[in-house]
Amino acid sequence: MLVLRDLQTQYKKFRLGYLWTILEPLGMSVVLWFVFSVLLGARDLGLQPYLLFLSIAILPWWWFTRGISATTRVFRRKGGQLRISLLPTELWILRVIASTMIEFLLSLPVVLLAMALTKTLPGPLIVFFPVAILVQFFFMYGLGLLIASWSVVVPDLARIVRIVMRALFYLSPVLYSISNIPAQVQPFAAFNPLVGILGLYRIGFWPEEIETVGAYAISLGICTATFVVGIIVFRRLEPRILKEA
Amino acid sequence: MARAPLTPGLGPVLEFDAVGVRMPRQVRRRGGGRRQRLRRIAGETRRDEVWRLRGATFSVAEGESVAIVGGKGSGRETLLRLAAGTLIPDEGAVRRRVAVVPMIDVARALQRGFTIRQNIYFVGGLLGMTPDEAGDRVAGIAAFSGLEGSLDKYLGTAIPMVRQKLAWSISMATEARAYAVEQVLVVGERDFRQQCWTRVDQMRKDGVTFLLASDSPRQFRRFCDRAIVLEAGALVAQGTVPEAIALFRESRRRGQDTPPEEPETSTEESGGPL
Repeated sequence: MLVLRDLQTQYKKFRLGYLWTILEPLGMSVVLWFVFSVLLGARDLGLQPYLLFLSIAILPWWWFTRGISATTRVFRRKGGQLRISLLPTELWILRVIASTMIEFLLSLPVVLLAMALTKTLPGPLIVFFPVAILVQFFFMYGLGLLIASWSVVVPDLARIVRIVMRALFYLSPVLYSISNIPAQVQPFAAFNPLVGILGLYRIGFWPEEIETVGAYAISLGICTATFVVGIIVFRRLEPRILKEA
Repeated sequence: MARAPLTPGLGPVLEFDAVGVRMPRQVRRRGGGRRQRLRRIAGETRRDEVWRLRGATFSVAEGESVAIVGGKGSGRETLLRLAAGTLIPDEGAVRRRVAVVPMIDVARALQRGFTIRQNIYFVGGLLGMTPDEAGDRVAGIAAFSGLEGSLDKYLGTAIPMVRQKLAWSISMATEARAYAVEQVLVVGERDFRQQCWTRVDQMRKDGVTFLLASDSPRQFRRFCDRAIVLEAGALVAQGTVPEAIALFRESRRRGQDTPPEEPETSTEESGGPL
């Protein structure tokens, strides 16, 4: 409840900027689409229509990077708030993930726009779209707990995370589909939790993606594991976090 | 889930059982932050930690006002945070029957970018108010702190005294049954301080429990039933307020000849009245 209140007050500040939550990912999709599809003419990259293919993955990707990089800072410079906070410490992380999620939800019209531009309609498997959101939420919450508590102990983690994020962008099927990568590498891709999540987002438009369902299962399993590990690590490091406050 | 779990059937309001906590040392070390951090990642050095409080055993009954007597660095803020549950002990246990509201530099948690109303929701929320409660109490808080006219103005660069007054009013509006107060039992200018006194005296009469850490012996004498003396993280004595103040003064005089070092070797002579 408090998180909601918190979000409200935060959003009041940024309401003017709402358009940007749409324009930014849209711009990014268009640029990437232009580079890869038009300039390089990579017809076999990803699935068609490429613009929609891109935008549907870029939005969750943005949510992911923003949320996770924010969690590295979540316990910094809190101005003594943690010293007096009687609220559960997890709430600080939940708040970051939730507010970035709302930003993500608000930017979803970009997908509608891409659908309109490419005149594509989703199949019945689109029901997995909300499931994907849910899975991503829990995955991010777990990872956020993990990273937030670790970065209190190791302040450099923020920078490491930034680099890992950059690498992960290219290692995840945002620009391409996992059917694009060589067959012998595909099993390894399954260990990237984002493969499963992004796959769930796309499955409504490209039902043929379901072939790789085995890979999804593994990467969703990793999501669950991350969630559990995150909670355990956070429990152990919570006293430490409070001491640094 | 909650930060400060409660023990409903507890006899006293608050109970410390051989509580100890290590805190990272706050002095800067040589060799530059980056190098230190690299070392820490490599596992070469652990960050220095000192026992900020150790072997503290005492309990506080309902309606008592307890003075925490001790100089800077004696562990009094640590003790208050432990009491409120915003710090988790490394050894021993803290049990509380009711929620203890930490009044520890609450003014610092106020947000410049929020309006006063939003700050009431935000800081009140931190201190355990639900949004509904905060909504009900906005008017009362504004009236008490004399800010009715500017509820929807941004806090911005409000002068420290206004921040102090607002923070005080929010903390007291939590209507908790126990408070852990660091320094700010009364704040503001003369009139406001008088208002504060009236309010806290009334609360005390109503059986609200207070833990008070302060630099002011006068406040202790006026407000507290008994005292706990802290020295370098150890609970040295418990007793009446005048006794405690005398003891504290004496130990400080001694301390000027031989500064109290190495809190690790804390003598665990907790408990025991003077």
